[in-house]
Amino acid sequence: MSYFRVTLVRSAIGLPRRTTDVLKALGLKKRMVTVFHPVSPSVAGQIMKVKELVEVREVEKRLTRQEVHLERKPDPGYYVEKTSGAEWKESR
Amino acid sequence: MFKASSPLFSGLLWKIPWRISQPQKARQRKRLRSVDRVVDTVSAALTRNGHSARSVTRWFKEMPREEEMLPKDKYTLFDKKEKTYRKGIHKLPKWTRVSQRVNPPGF
Repeated sequence: MSYFRVTLVRSAIGLPRRTTDVLKALGLKKRMVTVFHPVSPSVAGQIMKVKELVEVREVEKRLTRQEVHLERKPDPGYYVEKTSGAEWKESR
Repeated sequence: MFKASSPLFSGLLWKIPWRISQPQKARQRKRLRSVDRVVDTVSAALTRNGHSARSVTRWFKEMPREEEMLPKDKYTLFDKKEKTYRKGIHKLPKWTRVSQRVNPPGF
């Protein structure tokens, strides 16, 4: 079972109402939002309605919103060896 | 100095340039390719899962791809009111977000 990974890259401001409704049905409320939908003819038809506004990829796994957000998060450049709380517990 | 011109004399008058610029053309090609890519992805995913959708098959039957299109169709569209029956595609409302690929045959 694979999924469509759909990202809204262009807004539908000023376009016909039906376009906005299709985006809403897909769960795309604002730009750069990513949603996952199982591959099916009905979802394909919805994507075809808004093909000028979205980017689509076929993926095997569906990610949560948080996982999609973490993909974009840059590497902080450090890692935590030990927290102060743990150090305090050890010293007791 | 006040110089009489249509935008100053009348209220709201938008001036759309007659010509479409080179960077606008480049971005237009980029957008055409991105739509092609979306349709290709959707079609490949459907066939891999053993489905088919009417809108996708219809698109492939009726619409040319970016590389198959003539420059004439990429940057201009049919207009019966023009002397040459063609006007720049940038005169089409919302032209960066609508698909306008085919024109009447013979024009």
